[in-house]
Amino acid sequence: MAATLKPYLNAVRNTLEAAMCLENFYSQRVERHLKPEVEIRSSKEVLFTALEVCRNDKEKVLIEGSINSLRMSISIKQADEIEKILCHKFMRFMMMRAENFFILRRKPIEGYDISFLITNYHTEQMYKHKLIDFVMEFMTEIDKEISEMKLCLNARARISAENFLQSFTPANECNEEKE
Amino acid sequence: MAAKKEQQLLTGPISGHAYNSDLSQLVVSDTSSTFYIYKKDAKGTFTKDKELKKHIERVKSVDWAPRTNRIVTCSGDRNAYVWNLDLESGEWKPTLVLLRIDRAATFVRWSPAEDRFAVGSGARILSICYYEEEPDWWVSKHIKKPIRSTILCIDWHPNNYLLAVGSCDFKCRVFSSALKELEDKPTTSGWMPKLSKFATLLAEFDTSEGWVHGVKFSPSGDKLAWVSHDSSVNVVEMGRQEKVFRCLVSTLPLTTVLFLSESALVCAGHDNIPSLYNLVGEEVVFGARLDVSKKKEVGGMSAMARFKQLDKTGDKEDDSKLNTTHQNAIVELRATRIQDGKVKQFSSAGQDGKVVMWDVDVLAASIGGLKI
Repeated sequence: MAATLKPYLNAVRNTLEAAMCLENFYSQRVERHLKPEVEIRSSKEVLFTALEVCRNDKEKVLIEGSINSLRMSISIKQADEIEKILCHKFMRFMMMRAENFFILRRKPIEGYDISFLITNYHTEQMYKHKLIDFVMEFMTEIDKEISEMKLCLNARARISAENFLQSFTPANECNEEKE
Repeated sequence: MAAKKEQQLLTGPISGHAYNSDLSQLVVSDTSSTFYIYKKDAKGTFTKDKELKKHIERVKSVDWAPRTNRIVTCSGDRNAYVWNLDLESGEWKPTLVLLRIDRAATFVRWSPAEDRFAVGSGARILSICYYEEEPDWWVSKHIKKPIRSTILCIDWHPNNYLLAVGSCDFKCRVFSSALKELEDKPTTSGWMPKLSKFATLLAEFDTSEGWVHGVKFSPSGDKLAWVSHDSSVNVVEMGRQEKVFRCLVSTLPLTTVLFLSESALVCAGHDNIPSLYNLVGEEVVFGARLDVSKKKEVGGMSAMARFKQLDKTGDKEDDSKLNTTHQNAIVELRATRIQDGKVKQFSSAGQDGKVVMWDVDVLAASIGGLKI
Protein backbone atom coordinates (compact mmCIF):
# COMPACT_ATOMS: atom_id res chain seq x y z
CA MET A 1 0.00 0.00 0.00
CA ALA A 2 2.78 2.36 0.93
CA ALA A 3 4.41 1.74 -2.43
CA THR A 4 1.60 3.53 -4.25
CA LEU A 5 1.58 6.53 -1.95
CA LYS A 6 4.71 8.33 -3.15
CA PRO A 7 3.99 8.18 -6.91
CA TYR A 8 0.38 9.19 -6.20
CA LEU A 9 1.44 12.26 -4.22
CA ASN A 10 4.08 13.15 -6.81
CA ALA A 11 1.53 12.99 -9.62
CA VAL A 12 -0.88 15.21 -7.67
CA ARG A 13 1.87 17.69 -6.82
CA ASN A 14 3.07 17.99 -10.42
CA THR A 15 -0.47 18.44 -11.71
CA LEU A 16 -1.13 21.15 -9.11
CA GLU A 17 2.08 22.98 -10.03
CA ALA A 18 1.06 23.04 -13.68
CA ALA A 19 -2.54 23.99 -12.99
CA MET A 20 -1.64 26.79 -10.59
CA CYS A 21 -0.32 29.13 -13.30
CA LEU A 22 -3.21 31.55 -12.84
CA GLU A 23 -3.71 35.08 -14.01
CA ASN A 24 -6.38 37.73 -13.69
CA PHE A 25 -9.09 37.31 -16.34
CA TYR A 26 -12.20 39.40 -16.83
CA SER A 27 -15.29 37.47 -17.87
CA GLN A 28 -16.07 37.33 -21.58
CA ARG A 29 -19.78 36.89 -20.97
CA VAL A 30 -20.65 39.63 -18.50
CA GLU A 31 -19.00 43.01 -18.46
CA ARG A 32 -16.92 44.02 -15.46
CA HIS A 33 -17.26 40.58 -13.92
CA LEU A 34 -14.25 38.80 -12.48
CA LYS A 35 -15.37 35.34 -11.47
CA PRO A 36 -13.52 32.00 -11.19
CA GLU A 37 -13.91 30.53 -14.67
CA VAL A 38 -13.76 26.98 -13.33
CA GLU A 39 -17.00 27.60 -11.44
CA ILE A 40 -18.83 29.63 -14.05
CA ARG A 41 -17.74 27.40 -16.98
CA SER A 42 -19.10 29.84 -19.53
CA SER A 43 -16.24 29.92 -22.09
CA LYS A 44 -14.89 26.55 -23.15
CA GLU A 45 -11.55 27.84 -24.43
CA VAL A 46 -10.32 29.05 -21.05
CA LEU A 47 -11.03 25.75 -19.27
CA PHE A 48 -8.62 22.86 -18.93
CA THR A 49 -9.57 19.21 -19.35
CA ALA A 50 -10.30 17.77 -15.91
CA LEU A 51 -7.67 15.35 -14.66
CA GLU A 52 -8.34 12.54 -12.20
CA VAL A 53 -5.42 11.00 -10.33
CA CYS A 54 -6.45 7.69 -8.77
CA ARG A 55 -4.56 5.68 -6.21
CA ASN A 56 -7.21 2.95 -6.23
CA ASP A 57 -10.93 3.04 -6.84
CA LYS A 58 -11.64 4.52 -3.40
CA GLU A 59 -8.94 7.22 -3.20
CA LYS A 60 -8.76 9.77 -5.97
CA VAL A 61 -8.23 13.44 -6.68
CA LEU A 62 -10.00 15.46 -9.39
CA ILE A 63 -8.18 18.57 -10.60
CA GLU A 64 -10.10 21.00 -12.82
CA GLY A 65 -8.26 24.07 -14.01
CA SER A 66 -8.89 27.25 -15.94
CA ILE A 67 -7.13 30.50 -16.73
CA ASN A 68 -7.87 32.16 -13.39
CA SER A 69 -8.89 29.40 -10.99
CA LEU A 70 -8.35 25.80 -10.03
CA ARG A 71 -10.67 23.36 -8.31
CA MET A 72 -9.31 20.28 -6.57
CA SER A 73 -11.62 17.62 -5.12
CA ILE A 74 -10.40 14.81 -2.91
CA SER A 75 -12.08 11.48 -2.27
CA ILE A 76 -10.81 10.11 1.05
CA LYS A 77 -10.37 6.43 1.87
CA GLN A 78 -13.28 5.26 4.02
CA ALA A 79 -13.01 1.58 4.78
CA ASP A 80 -16.01 1.02 7.07
CA GLU A 81 -19.12 2.71 8.43
CA ILE A 82 -17.32 4.34 11.35
CA GLU A 83 -14.75 5.95 9.05
CA LYS A 84 -17.52 7.14 6.75
CA ILE A 85 -19.28 8.92 9.61
CA LEU A 86 -16.05 10.35 11.02
CA CYS A 87 -14.92 11.60 7.64
CA HIS A 88 -18.27 13.17 6.88
CA LYS A 89 -18.36 14.99 10.22
CA PHE A 90 -14.74 16.12 10.03
CA MET A 91 -15.14 17.50 6.51
CA ARG A 92 -18.38 19.23 7.44
CA PHE A 93 -16.66 20.86 10.42
CA MET A 94 -13.99 22.32 8.17
CA MET A 95 -16.31 23.31 5.34
CA MET A 96 -18.54 25.27 7.70
CA ARG A 97 -15.46 27.37 8.54
CA ALA A 98 -14.41 27.76 4.90
CA GLU A 99 -13.81 31.54 5.15
CA ASN A 100 -10.96 31.03 7.56
CA PHE A 101 -9.39 28.47 5.27
CA PHE A 102 -9.50 30.84 2.23
CA ILE A 103 -9.00 28.13 -0.33
CA LEU A 104 -11.66 25.70 0.88
CA ARG A 105 -14.95 25.35 -0.98
CA ARG A 106 -18.15 25.29 1.08
CA LYS A 107 -19.61 22.32 -0.73
CA PRO A 108 -17.69 19.40 -2.18
CA ILE A 109 -18.16 18.41 -5.80
CA GLU A 110 -20.54 15.46 -6.41
CA GLY A 111 -18.80 12.19 -5.72
CA TYR A 112 -15.98 13.65 -3.60
CA ASP A 113 -15.53 14.44 0.07
CA ILE A 114 -13.88 17.85 0.07
CA SER A 115 -13.03 20.50 -2.53
CA PHE A 116 -10.55 23.36 -2.74
CA LEU A 117 -11.02 26.42 -4.93
CA ILE A 118 -7.80 28.34 -5.58
CA THR A 119 -8.12 31.57 -7.58
CA ASN A 120 -5.62 34.07 -8.98
CA TYR A 121 -6.29 36.23 -5.89
CA HIS A 122 -4.82 33.49 -3.72
CA THR A 123 -1.72 33.03 -5.88
CA GLU A 124 -1.26 36.81 -5.90
CA GLN A 125 -1.36 37.06 -2.12
CA MET A 126 0.27 33.79 -1.11
CA TYR A 127 3.28 31.81 -2.26
CA LYS A 128 2.33 29.22 -4.86
CA HIS A 129 4.74 26.59 -3.62
CA LYS A 130 3.47 27.02 -0.06
CA LEU A 131 -0.13 26.60 -1.20
CA ILE A 132 0.83 23.36 -2.88
CA ASP A 133 2.69 22.24 0.25
CA PHE A 134 -0.42 22.93 2.30
CA VAL A 135 -2.69 20.92 0.05
CA MET A 136 -0.24 17.99 -0.11
CA GLU A 137 0.15 18.00 3.67
CA PHE A 138 -3.62 18.04 4.02
CA MET A 139 -3.92 14.98 1.84
CA THR A 140 -1.30 13.01 3.76
CA GLU A 141 -2.50 14.04 7.21
CA ILE A 142 -6.20 13.47 6.68
CA ASP A 143 -5.89 9.68 6.59
CA LYS A 144 -3.78 9.70 9.75
CA GLU A 145 -6.25 11.94 11.57
CA ILE A 146 -9.24 9.81 10.68
CA SER A 147 -7.47 6.63 11.82
CA GLU A 148 -6.50 8.32 15.07
CA MET A 149 -10.07 9.44 15.64
CA LYS A 150 -11.31 5.94 14.95
CA LEU A 151 -8.86 4.49 17.48
CA CYS A 152 -9.90 7.04 20.11
CA LEU A 153 -13.52 6.30 19.36
CA ASN A 154 -13.04 2.57 19.76
CA ALA A 155 -11.03 3.01 22.97
CA ARG A 156 -13.69 5.25 24.49
CA ALA A 157 -16.43 2.90 23.41
CA ARG A 158 -14.62 -0.01 25.05
CA ILE A 159 -14.00 1.85 28.32
CA SER A 160 -17.55 3.18 28.60
CA ALA A 161 -19.03 -0.25 27.76
CA GLU A 162 -16.81 -1.85 30.40
CA ASN A 163 -17.88 0.64 33.05
CA PHE A 164 -21.52 0.29 32.13
CA LEU A 165 -21.51 -3.49 32.15
CA GLN A 166 -19.67 -3.69 35.49
CA SER A 167 -22.95 -2.84 37.21
CA PHE A 168 -24.41 -6.06 35.76
CA THR A 169 -21.71 -8.47 36.99
CA PRO A 170 -22.69 -10.94 39.83
CA ALA A 171 -21.19 -10.90 43.43
CA ASN A 172 -17.54 -10.00 44.09
CA GLU A 173 -16.40 -13.67 44.66
CA CYS A 174 -16.57 -14.34 40.96
CA ASN A 175 -14.33 -11.29 40.26
CA GLU A 176 -11.73 -12.41 42.83
CA GLU A 177 -11.67 -15.91 41.33
CA LYS A 178 -10.98 -14.45 37.91
CA GLU A 179 -8.08 -12.41 39.21
CA MET B 1 28.34 46.79 -12.76
CA ALA B 2 25.93 44.23 -11.44
CA ALA B 3 24.13 41.79 -13.71
CA LYS B 4 20.80 42.77 -12.23
CA LYS B 5 19.33 45.53 -10.13
CA GLU B 6 16.13 44.68 -8.34
CA GLN B 7 13.65 46.81 -6.51
CA GLN B 8 10.54 45.80 -4.59
CA LEU B 9 8.06 48.43 -5.76
CA LEU B 10 4.73 47.06 -4.61
CA THR B 11 3.46 44.45 -2.18
CA GLY B 12 1.07 43.04 -4.73
CA PRO B 13 1.43 41.94 -8.34
CA ILE B 14 2.41 44.38 -11.07
CA SER B 15 0.14 44.11 -14.12
CA GLY B 16 2.07 46.45 -16.39
CA HIS B 17 5.07 48.76 -16.44
CA ALA B 18 6.65 51.21 -18.90
CA TYR B 19 9.55 53.66 -18.92
CA ASN B 20 9.90 57.14 -20.34
CA SER B 21 12.57 58.02 -22.88
CA ASP B 22 15.51 58.56 -20.49
CA LEU B 23 14.49 55.85 -17.98
CA SER B 24 14.11 58.44 -15.25
CA GLN B 25 10.42 57.73 -14.74
CA LEU B 26 8.41 54.55 -14.58
CA VAL B 27 4.67 54.02 -14.74
CA VAL B 28 3.38 50.97 -12.91
CA SER B 29 -0.07 49.47 -12.50
CA ASP B 30 -1.08 46.93 -9.90
CA THR B 31 -4.30 45.16 -8.97
CA SER B 32 -6.23 48.32 -8.13
CA SER B 33 -7.80 51.01 -10.28
CA THR B 34 -5.01 53.45 -9.47
CA PHE B 35 -1.68 53.47 -11.24
CA TYR B 36 1.56 55.08 -10.10
CA ILE B 37 4.40 57.09 -11.59
CA TYR B 38 7.78 56.54 -10.01
CA LYS B 39 10.75 58.85 -10.35
CA LYS B 40 14.35 57.76 -10.17
CA ASP B 41 16.17 59.63 -7.42
CA ALA B 42 19.86 60.44 -7.09
CA LYS B 43 20.73 56.98 -5.75
CA GLY B 44 19.09 55.25 -8.70
CA THR B 45 16.10 53.80 -6.86
CA PHE B 46 12.56 54.56 -7.93
CA THR B 47 10.37 56.43 -5.47
CA LYS B 48 6.63 56.98 -5.83
CA ASP B 49 5.92 60.33 -7.37
CA LYS B 50 2.27 60.42 -8.41
CA GLU B 51 -0.89 58.41 -7.99
CA LEU B 52 -3.37 58.70 -10.85
CA LYS B 53 -6.99 57.72 -10.33
CA LYS B 54 -9.51 57.69 -13.11
CA HIS B 55 -10.36 54.08 -13.79
CA ILE B 56 -13.00 52.16 -11.89
CA GLU B 57 -11.73 48.61 -12.33
CA ARG B 58 -8.22 47.10 -12.38
CA VAL B 59 -5.76 48.82 -14.70
CA LYS B 60 -4.69 45.90 -16.88
CA SER B 61 -1.99 47.45 -19.01
CA VAL B 62 0.05 50.66 -19.41
CA ASP B 63 2.35 51.99 -22.11
CA TRP B 64 4.53 55.11 -22.34
CA ALA B 65 5.27 56.76 -25.70
CA PRO B 66 8.83 58.04 -25.20
CA ARG B 67 9.07 60.72 -27.90
CA THR B 68 5.65 62.33 -27.49
CA ASN B 69 5.70 61.70 -23.71
CA ARG B 70 2.19 60.30 -23.47
CA ILE B 71 0.91 57.47 -21.29
CA VAL B 72 -1.98 55.24 -22.28
CA THR B 73 -3.74 53.00 -19.76
CA CYS B 74 -6.56 50.51 -20.22
CA SER B 75 -8.63 48.76 -17.63
CA GLY B 76 -11.36 46.25 -16.91
CA ASP B 77 -14.00 48.98 -16.93
CA ARG B 78 -13.97 48.95 -20.78
CA ASN B 79 -12.15 52.29 -20.93
CA ALA B 80 -8.74 53.54 -21.92
CA TYR B 81 -7.26 56.98 -21.28
CA VAL B 82 -4.37 58.85 -22.84
CA TRP B 83 -2.52 60.99 -20.30
CA ASN B 84 -0.66 64.13 -21.34
CA LEU B 85 1.71 65.99 -19.10
CA ASP B 86 0.55 69.55 -18.46
CA LEU B 87 3.87 71.38 -18.34
CA GLU B 88 2.73 74.29 -16.18
CA SER B 89 1.14 72.31 -13.39
CA GLY B 90 3.26 69.18 -13.75
CA GLU B 91 0.06 67.11 -13.59
CA TRP B 92 -0.98 64.36 -15.95
CA LYS B 93 -4.32 65.10 -17.60
CA PRO B 94 -6.45 62.30 -19.05
CA THR B 95 -7.99 62.48 -22.51
CA LEU B 96 -11.03 60.41 -23.42
CA VAL B 97 -10.66 57.42 -25.73
CA LEU B 98 -13.81 56.10 -27.45
CA LEU B 99 -13.10 52.41 -27.48
CA ARG B 100 -16.69 51.26 -28.04
CA ILE B 101 -16.11 47.85 -26.50
CA ASP B 102 -18.44 46.11 -24.11
CA ARG B 103 -15.97 43.95 -22.18
CA ALA B 104 -12.71 44.57 -20.32
CA ALA B 105 -9.73 46.03 -22.19
CA THR B 106 -6.78 43.74 -21.58
CA PHE B 107 -3.70 45.07 -23.39
CA VAL B 108 -2.52 48.35 -24.92
CA ARG B 109 0.55 49.36 -26.96
CA TRP B 110 1.64 52.53 -28.73
CA SER B 111 2.70 52.13 -32.34
CA PRO B 112 6.36 52.84 -33.21
CA ALA B 113 5.50 56.28 -34.64
CA GLU B 114 3.31 57.02 -31.58
CA ASP B 115 0.44 58.39 -33.63
CA ARG B 116 -1.89 55.53 -32.76
CA PHE B 117 -2.26 52.72 -30.28
CA ALA B 118 -3.89 49.31 -30.26
CA VAL B 119 -6.13 48.00 -27.47
CA GLY B 120 -7.05 44.34 -27.11
CA SER B 121 -10.15 43.38 -25.18
CA GLY B 122 -12.29 40.59 -23.82
CA ALA B 123 -14.94 41.57 -26.37
CA ARG B 124 -12.76 39.79 -28.97
CA ILE B 125 -12.19 43.15 -30.66
CA LEU B 126 -8.91 44.86 -31.45
CA SER B 127 -9.31 48.64 -31.42
CA ILE B 128 -6.85 50.86 -33.28
CA CYS B 129 -7.18 54.38 -31.87
CA TYR B 130 -6.03 57.63 -33.41
CA TYR B 131 -6.43 61.27 -32.41
CA GLU B 132 -9.08 63.62 -33.72
CA GLU B 133 -8.07 67.25 -33.32
CA GLU B 134 -11.46 68.97 -33.24
CA PRO B 135 -13.27 67.12 -30.48
CA ASP B 136 -9.99 66.44 -28.61
CA TRP B 137 -10.51 62.73 -28.24
CA TRP B 138 -9.18 59.46 -29.59
CA VAL B 139 -11.47 57.46 -31.87
CA SER B 140 -11.16 53.80 -32.63
CA LYS B 141 -11.58 51.51 -35.58
CA HIS B 142 -12.32 47.86 -34.85
CA ILE B 143 -10.78 44.66 -36.08
CA LYS B 144 -13.16 41.81 -35.29
CA LYS B 145 -12.90 38.88 -37.67
CA PRO B 146 -11.73 36.25 -37.08
CA ILE B 147 -10.67 36.72 -33.45
CA ARG B 148 -12.69 34.25 -31.39
CA SER B 149 -11.63 34.92 -27.81
CA THR B 150 -10.06 37.44 -25.41
CA ILE B 151 -6.95 39.14 -26.77
CA LEU B 152 -3.98 38.64 -24.46
CA CYS B 153 -1.10 40.42 -26.20
CA ILE B 154 -0.31 42.76 -29.10
CA ASP B 155 2.89 43.83 -30.82
CA TRP B 156 3.43 46.41 -33.57
CA HIS B 157 5.69 45.87 -36.56
CA PRO B 158 8.35 48.60 -37.03
CA ASN B 159 6.54 49.86 -40.17
CA ASN B 160 3.71 51.22 -38.00
CA TYR B 161 0.76 49.60 -39.75
CA LEU B 162 1.15 45.86 -39.23
CA LEU B 163 0.48 44.22 -35.92
CA ALA B 164 0.52 40.77 -34.36
CA VAL B 165 -2.13 39.64 -31.92
CA GLY B 166 -2.15 36.66 -29.54
CA SER B 167 -5.41 35.53 -28.00
CA CYS B 168 -7.13 32.91 -25.89
CA ASP B 169 -8.29 30.94 -28.92
CA PHE B 170 -4.72 29.53 -29.19
CA LYS B 171 -3.87 31.47 -32.36
CA CYS B 172 -1.36 34.15 -33.24
CA ARG B 173 -2.48 36.44 -36.08
CA VAL B 174 -0.99 39.29 -38.12
CA PHE B 175 -3.31 42.09 -39.26
CA SER B 176 -2.94 45.12 -41.45
CA SER B 177 -4.12 48.37 -39.93
CA ALA B 178 -3.24 50.93 -42.58
CA LEU B 179 -5.45 53.94 -41.90
CA LYS B 180 -6.60 56.32 -44.64
CA GLU B 181 -7.41 58.90 -41.95
CA LEU B 182 -3.76 59.10 -41.00
CA GLU B 183 -2.55 59.05 -44.61
CA ASP B 184 -0.71 55.78 -44.34
CA LYS B 185 1.20 54.75 -47.44
CA PRO B 186 1.76 51.05 -46.95
CA THR B 187 4.23 49.16 -49.10
CA THR B 188 4.17 45.47 -49.87
CA SER B 189 6.46 43.22 -47.89
CA GLY B 190 6.82 39.59 -46.91
CA TRP B 191 3.96 39.96 -44.45
CA MET B 192 1.71 41.82 -46.88
CA PRO B 193 2.32 40.57 -50.44
CA LYS B 194 -0.45 42.72 -51.91
CA LEU B 195 -1.72 46.02 -50.57
CA SER B 196 -4.51 45.24 -48.12
CA LYS B 197 -6.97 47.49 -46.48
CA PHE B 198 -7.61 47.94 -42.79
CA ALA B 199 -8.47 44.80 -40.78
CA THR B 200 -7.22 42.29 -43.34
CA LEU B 201 -5.96 39.09 -41.78
CA LEU B 202 -2.50 38.58 -43.25
CA ALA B 203 -1.40 35.46 -41.39
CA GLU B 204 -2.77 33.06 -38.83
CA PHE B 205 -0.62 30.58 -36.91
CA ASP B 206 -2.20 27.79 -34.90
CA THR B 207 0.74 25.66 -33.81
CA SER B 208 0.06 26.48 -30.17
CA GLU B 209 -2.12 24.30 -28.01
CA GLY B 210 -2.43 26.91 -25.29
CA TRP B 211 -3.41 30.54 -24.83
CA VAL B 212 -0.91 32.86 -26.50
CA HIS B 213 0.47 34.98 -23.68
CA GLY B 214 3.17 37.01 -25.39
CA VAL B 215 3.98 38.01 -28.97
CA LYS B 216 6.89 40.04 -30.40
CA PHE B 217 8.31 41.08 -33.76
CA SER B 218 12.09 40.99 -34.12
CA PRO B 219 13.85 44.39 -34.39
CA SER B 220 13.73 44.33 -38.21
CA GLY B 221 10.20 42.95 -38.28
CA ASP B 222 11.19 39.92 -40.33
CA LYS B 223 10.56 37.37 -37.61
CA LEU B 224 7.65 36.87 -35.25
CA ALA B 225 7.93 35.03 -31.94
CA TRP B 226 5.19 34.02 -29.54
CA VAL B 227 4.96 32.08 -26.29
CA SER B 228 1.93 30.17 -25.16
CA HIS B 229 0.49 28.23 -22.26
CA ASP B 230 1.50 24.86 -23.67
CA SER B 231 5.06 25.76 -22.57
CA SER B 232 6.30 26.46 -26.07
CA VAL B 233 8.32 29.15 -27.82
CA ASN B 234 7.33 29.57 -31.49
CA VAL B 235 9.16 31.62 -34.13
CA VAL B 236 8.21 32.16 -37.75
CA GLU B 237 10.03 33.97 -40.54
CA MET B 238 8.30 36.38 -42.87
CA GLY B 239 9.64 34.69 -45.95
CA ARG B 240 8.60 31.17 -44.97
CA GLN B 241 5.33 31.32 -43.12
CA GLU B 242 4.41 27.64 -43.45
CA LYS B 243 7.28 26.54 -41.24
CA VAL B 244 6.98 27.53 -37.59
CA PHE B 245 10.08 26.82 -35.45
CA ARG B 246 8.83 25.46 -32.19
CA CYS B 247 10.61 24.60 -28.98
CA LEU B 248 9.02 23.06 -25.91
CA VAL B 249 10.23 24.47 -22.63
CA SER B 250 10.95 22.09 -19.77
CA THR B 251 9.47 24.41 -17.13
CA LEU B 252 6.12 26.02 -16.43
CA PRO B 253 4.46 28.13 -19.18
CA LEU B 254 6.05 31.36 -20.38
CA THR B 255 4.12 34.61 -20.47
CA THR B 256 6.35 37.17 -22.16
CA VAL B 257 9.02 37.32 -24.85
CA LEU B 258 11.55 39.93 -26.00
CA PHE B 259 14.03 39.87 -28.90
CA LEU B 260 17.58 40.81 -27.86
CA SER B 261 18.81 40.72 -31.45
CA GLU B 262 17.66 39.01 -34.66
CA SER B 263 18.67 35.58 -33.41
CA ALA B 264 18.36 35.71 -29.63
CA LEU B 265 15.26 35.99 -27.51
CA VAL B 266 14.59 36.23 -23.81
CA CYS B 267 11.47 34.57 -22.45
CA ALA B 268 10.06 34.64 -18.95
CA GLY B 269 6.97 33.38 -17.24
CA HIS B 270 5.70 31.15 -14.47
CA ASP B 271 9.15 29.70 -13.83
CA ASN B 272 10.14 33.11 -12.35
CA ILE B 273 13.37 33.55 -14.36
CA PRO B 274 14.28 35.06 -17.73
CA SER B 275 15.81 32.47 -20.06
CA LEU B 276 17.70 32.97 -23.25
CA TYR B 277 16.76 31.14 -26.45
CA ASN B 278 18.78 31.20 -29.66
CA LEU B 279 17.62 30.80 -33.24
CA VAL B 280 20.08 28.34 -34.68
CA GLY B 281 19.38 27.58 -38.32
CA GLU B 282 15.88 26.18 -38.35
CA GLU B 283 15.49 25.58 -34.67
CA VAL B 284 14.84 27.45 -31.50
CA VAL B 285 17.37 26.22 -28.98
CA PHE B 286 17.53 26.86 -25.25
CA GLY B 287 20.53 29.05 -24.44
CA ALA B 288 20.79 29.61 -20.71
CA ARG B 289 18.97 30.60 -17.57
CA LEU B 290 19.71 34.23 -17.00
CA ASP B 291 19.02 34.16 -13.27
CA VAL B 292 21.87 32.32 -11.63
CA SER B 293 20.50 31.16 -8.31
CA LYS B 294 22.48 31.53 -5.15
CA LYS B 295 23.11 28.21 -3.49
CA LYS B 296 21.23 27.72 -0.22
CA GLU B 297 23.50 27.73 2.85
CA VAL B 298 24.89 24.29 3.44
CA GLY B 299 24.87 22.83 6.94
CA GLY B 300 21.37 23.77 7.97
CA MET B 301 20.45 25.83 10.97
CA SER B 302 21.68 25.63 14.52
CA ALA B 303 19.55 23.70 17.02
CA MET B 304 18.47 26.95 18.69
CA ALA B 305 17.36 28.44 15.36
CA ARG B 306 15.52 25.26 14.49
CA PHE B 307 13.46 25.27 17.67
CA LYS B 308 12.77 28.97 17.31
CA GLN B 309 11.46 28.32 13.80
CA LEU B 310 9.34 25.41 15.03
CA ASP B 311 7.88 27.59 17.75
CA LYS B 312 7.14 30.49 15.44
CA THR B 313 5.71 28.84 12.37
CA GLY B 314 5.23 25.17 13.23
CA ASP B 315 7.63 24.28 10.43
CA LYS B 316 11.15 23.00 10.92
CA GLU B 317 12.67 25.01 8.06
CA ASP B 318 11.92 28.42 6.67
CA ASP B 319 11.75 27.60 2.98
CA SER B 320 9.17 30.18 1.94
CA LYS B 321 11.70 32.28 0.03
CA LEU B 322 12.49 30.90 -3.42
CA ASN B 323 16.07 31.09 -4.63
CA THR B 324 15.15 33.03 -7.78
CA THR B 325 15.17 36.82 -8.00
CA HIS B 326 11.48 37.01 -8.70
CA GLN B 327 9.37 35.23 -6.07
CA ASN B 328 6.38 34.86 -8.34
CA ALA B 329 5.71 34.72 -12.09
CA ILE B 330 7.25 37.35 -14.38
CA VAL B 331 4.51 39.27 -16.17
CA GLU B 332 6.25 41.68 -18.55
CA LEU B 333 9.66 42.22 -20.14
CA ARG B 334 10.61 45.63 -21.54
CA ALA B 335 13.70 46.63 -23.50
CA THR B 336 15.17 49.66 -21.78
CA ARG B 337 18.45 50.34 -23.59
CA ILE B 338 18.99 49.56 -27.27
CA GLN B 339 22.39 49.99 -28.97
CA ASP B 340 23.04 49.19 -32.67
CA GLY B 341 19.76 47.33 -32.92
CA LYS B 342 20.60 45.03 -30.00
CA VAL B 343 18.99 45.24 -26.59
CA LYS B 344 21.62 45.97 -23.96
CA GLN B 345 19.38 46.20 -20.92
CA PHE B 346 15.88 44.97 -20.20
CA SER B 347 13.57 45.11 -17.24
CA SER B 348 11.19 42.51 -15.86
CA ALA B 349 8.12 43.09 -13.69
CA GLY B 350 6.55 40.28 -11.73
CA GLN B 351 3.56 39.18 -9.72
CA ASP B 352 5.69 39.61 -6.60
CA GLY B 353 5.72 43.41 -7.07
CA LYS B 354 9.41 43.55 -8.06
CA VAL B 355 10.97 45.34 -11.01
CA VAL B 356 14.41 44.02 -11.96
CA MET B 357 16.81 45.58 -14.51
CA TRP B 358 19.00 43.03 -16.27
CA ASP B 359 22.22 44.04 -17.99
CA VAL B 360 22.86 41.88 -21.04
CA ASP B 361 26.62 42.42 -21.38
CA VAL B 362 27.35 41.62 -17.74
CA LEU B 363 25.13 38.52 -17.94
CA ALA B 364 26.93 37.39 -21.10
CA ALA B 365 30.26 37.74 -19.34
CA SER B 366 29.22 35.98 -16.15
CA ILE B 367 27.36 33.03 -17.71
CA GLY B 368 29.85 31.17 -19.84
CA GLY B 369 29.03 30.19 -23.40
CA LEU B 370 26.23 32.70 -23.85
CA LYS B 371 25.62 33.68 -27.46
CA ILE B 372 23.59 36.79 -28.07
